[in-house]
Amino acid sequence: MTTYEALAPGQKIEGPKFAVSRESIRLFCDGSLDYNPLHLDDDYMKNSFGKTNFGGIIMHGMNNFGLLTRMLTDWAYPAGGIQRRMETRWLKPVRPGDTIQPSGTIKSKQVTSKSRWVLIDVVVENQAGAVVAAGEAMVEFPDGAAGI
Amino acid sequence: MQQQAFETDFWKDDAARKAWDDIIPGEPRKTMPYLLTREAIRLYCKSVGEDHPIYFDEAYAKTTPYGGLIAPPSIHILLMFACTPADDWMRSPGTINAGQSWSYNIPARPEDTITLQARALDKFIRKERLFCVHDNVFFNQKGEVICSGRGQTIRPV
Repeated sequence: MTTYEALAPGQKIEGPKFAVSRESIRLFCDGSLDYNPLHLDDDYMKNSFGKTNFGGIIMHGMNNFGLLTRMLTDWAYPAGGIQRRMETRWLKPVRPGDTIQPSGTIKSKQVTSKSRWVLIDVVVENQAGAVVAAGEAMVEFPDGAAGI
Repeated sequence: MQQQAFETDFWKDDAARKAWDDIIPGEPRKTMPYLLTREAIRLYCKSVGEDHPIYFDEAYAKTTPYGGLIAPPSIHILLMFACTPADDWMRSPGTINAGQSWSYNIPARPEDTITLQARALDKFIRKERLFCVHDNVFFNQKGEVICSGRGQTIRPV
């Protein structure tokens, strides 16, 4: 089990792989209520968006955010950790047929007057090892907090 | 509380939505309260593979420091669309999310009535693309902050 004391910069966190399909994207539409045709309409996606042509429907960027959150909370909950912040940007589109996986690397630890914190670099990579999303998260480990 | 039917055809109200030119940074967006149900949490969790019992198993959740069921922090992904009307510009077809950052205070819980304060904060042009910065704060029925966040979208031309 994770404890704040045992955490050190460079340690890795890994979430489960996620197979992206037309069905998973449609399920995310229903789960998020985001029915933008970017994620639904192949004919619409034949258009160009400025200089970009995606060539077909793409996964919601926020699906990456949801997978990263799941990884962080599943990792932090047993030690009483609380996800306090996450910042992400989307670097590459994700398409049906891709398999993506979230991971994190502990960057630093910090103790403030009232609590204890860990900063984590987070990424989501596709099956080719390309980074499709990147960012940073902050998890609080209050002293004495019970895990779940 | 009466839950409004959700329009899933994002083209239908597109003519009523603000384009990049019409968006006024600082002007509040129209929002509406949303009753967060267990079913909505369950469906969101299914879509991202969330399976921790703190989101589903009430008997277990009562034994934890949370004292009951909670929603995952990322539930704001759902709340963003649940708390805004069909003519909100975040639904404009072709809106591309460029990145977001969120801070979390307390968890949302099933049966919470969620409210949103939201606005465009800034807009700019970069590499011929039309960007809009939005900021958002979600509250529960007690007026407690659940989470706050900001993001950038590239607006359709």
